[in-house]
Amino acid sequence: MKKTIAIAAVLVAALAATTSAYAAKVVEEIQIEGMVSPASPKALSAALEGQLAVKVLGYDFYGTANGWPIIKVEHDSGAVSRDQIEKVIDATKDPTGTPYRVHRGETKIHLALLEEETKADGVFAADAPDIPKITNPIAADAASHGRGEKLYVQYCSKCHGMTGNGAGPSAHGFSTNPRQLWTWHNADASADPYLYWFITNGRTDMPPWGVILSDNERWDLVNYVKTLEPPKN
Amino acid sequence: MAEKIKAPRMKIKRSVKQDEIFKVKVRFDHPSFTGLGMVDENEELFNRAVPSTFIRNMLVYYDDELVSRFRTSSAIADNPLFTFKLRAIKEAPVKVVFVDDQGERWEASKDVKFKS
Repeated sequence: MKKTIAIAAVLVAALAATTSAYAAKVVEEIQIEGMVSPASPKALSAALEGQLAVKVLGYDFYGTANGWPIIKVEHDSGAVSRDQIEKVIDATKDPTGTPYRVHRGETKIHLALLEEETKADGVFAADAPDIPKITNPIAADAASHGRGEKLYVQYCSKCHGMTGNGAGPSAHGFSTNPRQLWTWHNADASADPYLYWFITNGRTDMPPWGVILSDNERWDLVNYVKTLEPPKN
Repeated sequence: MAEKIKAPRMKIKRSVKQDEIFKVKVRFDHPSFTGLGMVDENEELFNRAVPSTFIRNMLVYYDDELVSRFRTSSAIADNPLFTFKLRAIKEAPVKVVFVDDQGERWEASKDVKFKS
C-alpha cells in the first residue's frame, strides 16, 4: 500500500515537473463587452485576481480597432488557460449588475441594409436632382470664414466632426456615415452650388438646413467648408 | 438579446369611407440604446460599451405598394408609438415593416375595409 502511494506521489511530482517545463508566462488580450460604470474595471480585476492565479496588467480603452475595451491579463499557461479566464469574465457582474461578456464575434454596427430597405432607398431617395447653377453672392474672405466657423461648430460638427473628418460625437448611429468634408478643400467656384444645395435640402440622415439657416448663413458655411483640411501632424 | 421582441401592434378604424383620411397607429415594443457608456468618470471617457440596438427603418405598404418610409436613428425612444395618416383609396391591407440596426425584421398588417 505504502509503495503505491509513493509511486503515485512520484508520478504527480513528475507530471508537475513536465507541466512546469512547458509552462510560460503569457500575456493574453481579451476583448470585453460591457464596461458601463466607472467602478467596473476594478470589479473585473478583483474577480479575476481573486479567483485565478493571474495578474491584470491593465485595460486599453483607446487603441482598439472595433471599439471594445481590451483587458490585458498575464498568467502562467501551465496553471491557467484562456478558457478559464473567459469563463470567469462571463460569470462576473459589474457593480451595477450588468454582466460582462467576452467579445468573440464581429461587432454588429452599420450592418448591411436588407434588400427591402435598399429598394425603399431607390424609391424615396432619387438620385441627386438638377442642382441650379447659382453663383456664391458672398466673398470667401476672413469675415465670412469666421461666421461660417461659428455656424459649423454649432450645427455641423456634431456629425461631421470639428475637423470635418466625418466622425463627430453623434456620427455613430446613422444608417449612412456622415461625409468627410476634406474633399472640398480649396475647391473652385463650381462646387459652391452643389454644397449649397446639399446644405439647404439635406440628404439621407442629414436634415435640410434651409429651414433653419438663412441664405447668407448657408453661403458662409459653403465658404467655411472649403477651408477644412486634414490635420497636419 | 435576451428577450424575444414581439411583432408590432397596429390599430386602424374598423371601417372607413372611400377617400376618407384615416389614422394608423403602430406601437412597437423595441429597446433603444446607443451602445455608448461612461467608462471612467475621472477621465470622462466614453466608449462603445454594449452592442447598440435601435429601430433603423419603418416601411409602410398599402396594397403591397411602398407608400412611406420612416428613417430613425439611435435617438429614437424605447417602445415608440408611430401615428400617421393615409387616404383610403382602396380596400387593401396596410402593412408596416420594422427593421432594427441588427438587421432583424418585424411586420404587422391590417385590412382597410369600406363602410357598407
